[in-house]
Amino acid sequence: MRTESISDQGRISLLQLALFFAAFAVFLIAPTATAQQTNPLASDPRAARAGGVIFRGQCATCHGADAKGISSIDAPDLTMMWTQPGMTENRVFTRIQAGVPGSIMPPHDFPDTEIWMLVSYLRSVAVTGSTGEFTGNSENGGRLFAAHCSECHRIGISGGSLGPNLGRITERRSQAALRSSVRAPSSSIGRGYKPIILSTSSASGVSGIIKGEDAFSIQILDSSQRLRGFAKSELLSSNRDIDSLMPEFPEGQLSDKQLDDILSFLHQQR
Amino acid sequence: MNQSRACHQILRNRVKKSSLVAFGLLFPALFALAQDNSGPDYGDILQGFEDPSRWLTYSGDYSGRRHSPLTQINTENVSSLRPVWTFQTGTTTRGRGFETTPLVDDGVLYVTGSNNYAWAIDAKTGRRFWQYRRNLPEDLTYGASAPVNRGFGMLGNSLFMVTLDAHLLAFDRRNGDILWDVELADYRVGYASTGAPLVIDGMVITGISGGEYATRGFIDAYDPATGERIWRFNTIPGPGEPGSETWPNDPEILAKGGGGTWMNGSFDPELNLIYWGVGNPNPDYYGDSRPGDNLYSNSLVALDADTGELQWHYQFTPHDLNDWDSNHMPVLADIQWQGEPRKVVMVGNRNGFFYVLDRVSGEFLLGKPFTATTWAREIGEDGRPIVLNDGSKGCLPDPWGSTNFMPPSFYPELGLFYLTARETCATIVPEEPNLVPGQASFGGVVFIDPEQGSGALRALDVQTGELRWEFAYPSPTFGGVLSTAAGLVFAGDHEGNFMAFDAVNGENLWHYQTGSRIWGAGAMTHILDGRQYVLIPSGSTLTAFALPER
Repeated sequence: MRTESISDQGRISLLQLALFFAAFAVFLIAPTATAQQTNPLASDPRAARAGGVIFRGQCATCHGADAKGISSIDAPDLTMMWTQPGMTENRVFTRIQAGVPGSIMPPHDFPDTEIWMLVSYLRSVAVTGSTGEFTGNSENGGRLFAAHCSECHRIGISGGSLGPNLGRITERRSQAALRSSVRAPSSSIGRGYKPIILSTSSASGVSGIIKGEDAFSIQILDSSQRLRGFAKSELLSSNRDIDSLMPEFPEGQLSDKQLDDILSFLHQQR
Repeated sequence: MNQSRACHQILRNRVKKSSLVAFGLLFPALFALAQDNSGPDYGDILQGFEDPSRWLTYSGDYSGRRHSPLTQINTENVSSLRPVWTFQTGTTTRGRGFETTPLVDDGVLYVTGSNNYAWAIDAKTGRRFWQYRRNLPEDLTYGASAPVNRGFGMLGNSLFMVTLDAHLLAFDRRNGDILWDVELADYRVGYASTGAPLVIDGMVITGISGGEYATRGFIDAYDPATGERIWRFNTIPGPGEPGSETWPNDPEILAKGGGGTWMNGSFDPELNLIYWGVGNPNPDYYGDSRPGDNLYSNSLVALDADTGELQWHYQFTPHDLNDWDSNHMPVLADIQWQGEPRKVVMVGNRNGFFYVLDRVSGEFLLGKPFTATTWAREIGEDGRPIVLNDGSKGCLPDPWGSTNFMPPSFYPELGLFYLTARETCATIVPEEPNLVPGQASFGGVVFIDPEQGSGALRALDVQTGELRWEFAYPSPTFGGVLSTAAGLVFAGDHEGNFMAFDAVNGENLWHYQTGSRIWGAGAMTHILDGRQYVLIPSGSTLTAFALPER
């Protein structure tokens, strides 16, 4: 019955014709109404400002006034989300509207325009990657990376795990920030890379980075890139007041030209 | 309904068939059975911990002390404490916690969970008898951002639970059926309810959430049999009522003044007073629209249990700008105070001070900081804080507070008050909000320094408020506390450890990694078949611990 065609019935009533055109009209309108993929306010500079007001009123209590999140309540850093593969404005829109079931992120029945304002705001506070030109010799940079960096840093499937993965890093960090990380790695050490040196009765001077910790235990990745857990009760000593495990690369060791080459190489790994 | 009629019919037929003699023989047995099945009455709840096989109200008794007389697990043997069973709830609240305190009677645990789930569980095996899940609307307001629940109230064969859409439900505890369902307030405006109802003689008392929205808080009493409302105390006065002079003379502002009552209260049956904490004024951080002290926000109120009338109040944080709700468990005790016996109520407050008040009169006796705070140096003799830093001079304890609703405990023989302390550093930037019904109106933003945050279990001397001992946690913690007369303190932390300490000196005697943060919940303990159990909710699980069977 359901597959019965109009022609089988032999005639088309005026009503059926009207319904057909009505349905066709809906079909024409529907894609623009429901499948909006991009932010209609993207070109309007006022949108981000208005979105910021909404954000501070409705979102900042969990995501922080700077949108960088609050880890103790699992509220993620929203300035980083655009670097996630496949993240689109439409997905962010839907996430705000529908919330995250099973979490304290509620659904929001804001008007669509206000949600797009929030999307505009979140775009405006997104971490800015590298914007300028990369003028170095990436081939030479690749050789330098292999010699100095890849023991600890991964790109794609090769490299070490002691430091952050540097795949697509120029999307997340400016050239200035990357240069600073190479010249003075201890000036800012991210969570998950805080260094420690500890000793037990069976192992002395174990250095590594802190991956986790509670009142009774500590979990580290040691400098030989082995995951190790220790009960705090077995520690004879521990020292966190130390420099980053990443060595400094002063100019004498790595020239500005060579550093530019490495950055160009990193920028190519996208 | 039809089913139950059919049951009655069968019973009647059976009775008809039985002879008078047989009935005479059976009667005492039936009577005994009826006695056993009737469930606890008000007198049983009043007895508190006298029957250690029961835990009938949120804190175990009306005092809010969460201090059990059980001594089977003690400082000598606690190191061999081990899990007996784990119950997986299958529901969780990422970002908050499993905040409930199970009730237990006749070997059955009655447990509420996140997203308005609830269960009856065999206390011996951890197996479930029934599960309830409320069909919640999709447009929850406050309830969507904190989909938690702190437990049942119990009376007879009825259980009472509040919901995220701001209803109060009565359950048949034998099968989880709903007996009645009343609306506390319209959730669409911003209301929700999350506390464990307090059952007293002929009344179920409950509070309300929603102080982040343009709402007006209240404390309600309902008839346990019918759900009919007996009284309501509004935490923000109406125009012309006492306390309204601490607000602008504007009915609109009063009607949206906040003052949630989302944590449980305690009860003094002799004084017939209910003690209940009141939350922040609305908007949270923006005070220019509400000059004045803003009573009864951030206060402890003492209400006549029969009428709900205010007997006295004490405001911890006048004109709050930091979201320091005073929704804490008020802890009642009769102690020697400067040589005289005194009925006191004690509160470890979100503003960083530990308070002792006379619970007959509300007189301020002691206020002493238990965390680092630059907010106030001291509480003056008149009971008002001497505010040094309104937030403009560097950081203050964050809006989650120096402690929060996670229950503390009080050990009468040691005179020690145990609480979870949070050391944090936040800067608040107020901003005038739009008050739109159904939309949160914090009135500003908070910057929390992620590098400065730690926690601790602290033992305070209630005579002086001084720190007796502490056990440090790596991060600000939301776990609650239980103490037992065996000289033990049980506590949970943000990293998921459930721990036992020597109550006298704070020595850690035992710990168990539960695998998820312990948030908002304090442990409970009971005896079953001669064996003491200690239970703690964590993440989406409830685990029961006991000593190995010999």
